Amino acid sequence: MTVLLSIRDLDVDLGRGGWFADAAPLNILSGVSLDLMPGETLGLVGESGSGKTTLARAVLGLQPVSGGRLWFDGAELTRPADFRAIRRRAALMFQDATASLSPRMTVGEAVTEPFAIHRIAVRNRHDKAAELLAEVGLPPEMAARYPHELSGGQARRVGVARALALKPALVIADEPTAGLDVSVQADILNLMADLKERHGLSYLIITHNLALVRHVADRIAVLYLGRLVETGPTRAIFADPRHPYTRSLIAAEPKPDPRKRRADLAIRGEIPSILRRPAGCEFHTRCPLAREICRVEPPALGDIGRGRSARCHFAETMTEGGRHELEHR
Amino acid sequence: MSEPVLSVENLSLRYRVPGGAIAALRNVSIAVRQGEVLGIAGESGCGKSTLAAAMIDLVGTNAEVTSGVVRLNGRDILALSPVDRRRLRGREIAMVFQDPMTAFSPVLTVGAQLVDFQFNLDGLAGREKWRRARDMLARVGLSDPDHAMGRFPHELSGGMRQRAAIAAALLMRPSVLIADEPTTALDVTMEAQIVHLLRQLQADYRCAIVIVTHHLGVIAELCDRVAVMYAGEVVEEAPVDALFHDPRHPYTRALLACDPARIEAATGRLPAIGGRLPDLSSPPTGCSFADRCGIATDRCRAAPPPRVGLGPDRNALCHEVAP
Repeated sequence: MTVLLSIRDLDVDLGRGGWFADAAPLNILSGVSLDLMPGETLGLVGESGSGKTTLARAVLGLQPVSGGRLWFDGAELTRPADFRAIRRRAALMFQDATASLSPRMTVGEAVTEPFAIHRIAVRNRHDKAAELLAEVGLPPEMAARYPHELSGGQARRVGVARALALKPALVIADEPTAGLDVSVQADILNLMADLKERHGLSYLIITHNLALVRHVADRIAVLYLGRLVETGPTRAIFADPRHPYTRSLIAAEPKPDPRKRRADLAIRGEIPSILRRPAGCEFHTRCPLAREICRVEPPALGDIGRGRSARCHFAETMTEGGRHELEHR
Repeated sequence: MSEPVLSVENLSLRYRVPGGAIAALRNVSIAVRQGEVLGIAGESGCGKSTLAAAMIDLVGTNAEVTSGVVRLNGRDILALSPVDRRRLRGREIAMVFQDPMTAFSPVLTVGAQLVDFQFNLDGLAGREKWRRARDMLARVGLSDPDHAMGRFPHELSGGMRQRAAIAAALLMRPSVLIADEPTTALDVTMEAQIVHLLRQLQADYRCAIVIVTHHLGVIAELCDRVAVMYAGEVVEEAPVDALFHDPRHPYTRALLACDPARIEAATGRLPAIGGRLPDLSSPPTGCSFADRCGIATDRCRAAPPPRVGLGPDRNALCHEVAP
């Protein structure tokens, strides 16, 4: 089977403008490599500022990259025309569903706009809009509504319908359920699962909601300050996280059971600014296991077997003892 | 059992809208005691934020209280003059909002605002107010409080801003702190830290805390007692352990069932509640949840459900629940 999306050693640097034009460019993403198979769901996880959204934008050619290579369905993407072509086959669901819809366009216009953008003839836009809305469980009358008349869940469905318009192979969903109630969240996730089955879609789901990725993702990639720190099958990562950051993220999630309250803090401090990237391992400033080597030597993303990799000096030896030390500090 | 610090009794509130009114709160009674953390859980549109706003008398101008009282330290605050109500806010009761950016003015430094918030503290020198503000920032976990005092709100990260907002709320040592979705805008890691901080502050200051959130994890981590709201009513009230381990109202059960964090096995598909909230411009005569409820009978659709007592601090608004 051909890999649907392949990312190799992707770097994104932002040049600074104005007074800072002479300053060194800011490194946002560094050496990111990922593969996404057809029909697979990959969860991209990390805190705000870890580079998740930038990665999605870079894949679609919406963000200039400074290094690395990209392939979609076996073909390498190099020229702007290549990216325009893949934007027909890879759709983006934006983070804020209501804000991503133009307030001056009706729902019907919004869901059929992709055809106009890519200059694809549609025999009857009304029928097409109704068809797309039906696909996501919305009645055809909805086509005449404006975004401000929609509930959060409806706006999200419209976002899904718009993403599906051109029958993409890949849907990149940026925080697909942020701000939704749990019951509506379940509706949207179930809808996405149905559509995946029906159309054989692949998903790249960007989120900081671990409970969500645990249920929907086949594999997970964890980003910290623009570098992958751990990748692998979802089940294996949740059962046995090898990077201390992944472990802290999982532990930090509030448990919906008062009998499992944490007395201590799973993770201290905030993600450092990219303006002041820590030396050595970038997580050492917050890592409960950090030793001298971590402050000096940046660890490499190492293969730890069974389709997993982790960027930690102690990933291999992260045994029960290591976990014990982390949890009982 | 100690007297409640804050109690809401049979409160009904509606919002006037063009062509009618929306019954946002219907006969809500709830109380919080000193040193207690009360959680108000529910989905968007259930009235939980309206209830929080009513507790501190901050409802919008199109809101109209049609019945009920809100008692703070024994006084009916709705019967007070606007000037007297204003004096209570910040001093006896304070609020933390979802977006801390909106809690601060963008044009003044955090320090200047924290000093301003103490205008009620007569006889205290400006320098003393500055010191209190700085100490409170240190108390809420800002690593460099002197630096933070001189910053504008937008220069702080979201987590730091929320800490500063909590500091602002606690400056006057209120007896009740109301927090409306205090962690919703934050990352998991920040959320865990704010939950941890609120727990520590509650232990230190012994103030009553009311947390409004749709995040069941936050409720479980932080609260002693929970009120679950649906369509403007409290449908179940219970101690936190009982709510999570023995939920009695069908809505509470459904809500807990669709939280992915509670489902152990990874499944591609999640349980959903189905259906939608009733139209609150003409609330149903019977139970508001009947249309979405798996065990509803004709009686549920016809008659308003009774509030069934289920032991100390426990009740549910349901025809079908057995006492």
